[in-house]
Amino acid sequence: MLKEEIKKALENPVITKALTNFYEAYVVAREKAYTGLDFEKIRNEIVRVKSYAAENFDKLIKKFTEQATKRGAKVFYTKDPKEVINYILEVAKAHNVKTIVKSKSMATEEIHLNKHLQEAGIEVFETDLGEWIIQLAGQRPSHMVLPAIHLTRYEVSDIFTKKVDAVEPDIKKMVKFARKNLREKFLKADLGITGANIAVAETGSIVIFTNEGNARLVLTLPKVHIAVVGIEKLVDKLEDIDPIVKALPRNATAQPITTYVSFITGEREHWDGTKKEVHIILFDNGRSEMAKDPVFKEALQCIRCASCLNVCPVFRLISGLVFGRVYTGGIGTILTAWTEGLKATKDIQNLCIQCGNCVKICPGKINIPDLILEIRRRLAEEEGLPLKIRAIYSVVNNRRLFHTALRMASKLQAPFKQGAFIRHLPLAFSELTQERSLPAIAETPFRDRIKKIKQPEAKQKVAFFAGCLIDFAYPEIGEALVKLLNKAGIQVVFPQDQTCCGAPALYNGVMDVAANNMLQNLKALEQENPDFILSACPTCTLVLKKKGLLALRNQKVSSEVLAKAEKMAEKVVDTSYFINKLIKEGKLTFSKPLEEDFTYHDPCHLKRSLNIWQEPRESLQKAGLKLKEMFESDVCCGMGGSYSLKFPEISVKILERKLKNIQDTGVKLVCTDCPGCIMQIRGGADKKGLDFKVRHSLEILAERL
Amino acid sequence: MFELFKEKASALMAEVHAFKNRKDALEFVKNFIRENTMPEDQKAVVWYDTWFLDGVKKEDLLAEIPQISFEITPEIASKAKIGINEVDGAIAESGSLIEVSNRIQKRLVSALPEIHIAILPKSKILPDLKTALRSFHLHTHPYITLISGPSRTADIERVLTIGVHGPERVIIVCIENL
Repeated sequence: MLKEEIKKALENPVITKALTNFYEAYVVAREKAYTGLDFEKIRNEIVRVKSYAAENFDKLIKKFTEQATKRGAKVFYTKDPKEVINYILEVAKAHNVKTIVKSKSMATEEIHLNKHLQEAGIEVFETDLGEWIIQLAGQRPSHMVLPAIHLTRYEVSDIFTKKVDAVEPDIKKMVKFARKNLREKFLKADLGITGANIAVAETGSIVIFTNEGNARLVLTLPKVHIAVVGIEKLVDKLEDIDPIVKALPRNATAQPITTYVSFITGEREHWDGTKKEVHIILFDNGRSEMAKDPVFKEALQCIRCASCLNVCPVFRLISGLVFGRVYTGGIGTILTAWTEGLKATKDIQNLCIQCGNCVKICPGKINIPDLILEIRRRLAEEEGLPLKIRAIYSVVNNRRLFHTALRMASKLQAPFKQGAFIRHLPLAFSELTQERSLPAIAETPFRDRIKKIKQPEAKQKVAFFAGCLIDFAYPEIGEALVKLLNKAGIQVVFPQDQTCCGAPALYNGVMDVAANNMLQNLKALEQENPDFILSACPTCTLVLKKKGLLALRNQKVSSEVLAKAEKMAEKVVDTSYFINKLIKEGKLTFSKPLEEDFTYHDPCHLKRSLNIWQEPRESLQKAGLKLKEMFESDVCCGMGGSYSLKFPEISVKILERKLKNIQDTGVKLVCTDCPGCIMQIRGGADKKGLDFKVRHSLEILAERL
Repeated sequence: MFELFKEKASALMAEVHAFKNRKDALEFVKNFIRENTMPEDQKAVVWYDTWFLDGVKKEDLLAEIPQISFEITPEIASKAKIGINEVDGAIAESGSLIEVSNRIQKRLVSALPEIHIAILPKSKILPDLKTALRSFHLHTHPYITLISGPSRTADIERVLTIGVHGPERVIIVCIENL
């Protein structure tokens, strides 16, 4: 099912083009919208305000209810979606409602309200232009903030012509058409339903943001107004809304402010002097449970800006349509786990490539990839793993078996090997090499090669953690490192018992295997008692330094073992940082600083998880190279470890974009510091016959010593 | 502060005009009505009247500009081309107007017609949202709106289009001495 939807989306050029155009403009425009403001300060404020609210839901619900009731509103709190529907149906019945106008409300989408109202014989009109189009088309919104972004003007014109009246595919004319047609609905509607962006407990007010001005009409013109508000919209004080008003429009659509920000605090009188009725439904649906979860309570810091969708390299290819849920994208996956249950995310949680692009711009400082990983972990725990996957990890779990398998593969691959690449694989594996060549497994892995390298005696000793790719596919990267470090007077030791860092297991939620990998590596590395542990793969660095500790905690290892692991973690350094430090200290100089243009690809984990991006650029420039930045240098290459095996079709589309950005620089050398990125980009370039080289920074630096 | 407000509001496509006194402002409004509507357009202008017209004889104004209606219902406001009201403040940092509309009629004239003319005393421009929030008395004001430029959408192909459900032009008439 999911695979089919992905295929459909990838084959739909409109979606990819519309979203990509939007996203490219968005990044720049958002940056501009924040000019003169301190985003970190604003989002720290949001975290303070929203986390306080989440920890005090009961108190705020009570306070809001008291205040709003005092001002004439009727407030109804419920955990149950059915009760929301019944409540609205009862109000509708009491007022003999025939027509309802609605402004955008995700909470009502959550409970499929429109369907229930229509079944009760009531006409319902969405009034946000995008939502109206989607409603007429009988589709699902493709984006939380931009529901109809997947449709062209021609398709919109067709929808209008078929469902309402003839109108030509001219955007201005169609907007006027919507104004005229919906205006009639506003004037005749008996009931208006809105959502809310914020609910202020101390005053009992709801705050609604719109650009079109439809919410103002929805809540003003009909005699009865019902606001359906998820309890995560609560804040304690009026002043708490300041950072949300600043961040929400800037992050959602790169606007400094939405055209209308309305504060409604219980109205009592209709325009004609009769009584006006305001109902506020505080809707829970799993939110208070979420607040009690030590990991997931963080997601309640969400202000529903959907910027995590905007910068997601996967979402911009496939859109929200693929998710098939009310909430889509990164945050949508997390919300779905709570509003519809963990199982509902079984397929869609896999879509996250774990690049972390959303983390840096989330105004609620939510670590979306980490929360999705937690979903993955809980799913693996609850549902168990498919047999095939379990079998693979049982091999990875056993170093001897795993490494024997890799050595065997190096022999078995012979028929498919062309130089350093495997360009075609037969049968079930063919998809893997369709758009990108795979590296051939080295005849002699690094673990054997290092034994033959004569190293000078040195005072300082570092341990090298190679990781599977450098050890078995790119041993030359390890050799380059040894050469560099020896030159700086440092000896490299290679603990032979080291194994996979545990990332594949960890990123698939298989925590027992990840923890076991971590323990094996801990044992291997601590025997050498090195000053530092170096890794030339940012993912390995990240696991050894941070993520692996989480796996150990998760598996409840003894505090003694944990303390040892923490001590080891402190010694772990990424080579890109370490080498740069040696250069800065004058311990490493280049005698052959050949001038050459290069562009740099930022590995996701290096830049966003380890915050290293200036260092490798600086080192390469010190070695005489000239930097020419590519567009979106820090956007994922599509590798994502096992992601490229799970979703080769998405991985390849992301790769194509990276290849294009590289080509656009006109430069013939791409440097990066991750063997995974090298495998992906080099493989793509080989398949397409592109004439640039992809090298690990260490190799380029070592050549210039 | 006025300069910052003007810069920010103009960036949002509001049209800002400043006048020394009420008399000049009224002249501007009258001319604007004449230029944009015809005398025979019955009720082409809905005017939510408060202090701005103090001392002005309504009969004289109506004789001069018969297209004005002081009667406001959703139907009338919906058909009107221009809606005029006085706003209660503004925020310089965002270029927003603050409209406090305890009575729904006041809101209808800024929500339904194609053009909204907002009368704004210069002295009521506040520096920022924080200050504005402190000035809000929500317990006595059931409805407050911040209005930042004309109604807009980008829902079709991300093309910015002005004037969806609300006004497509927002004319701010700022008065220095009341």
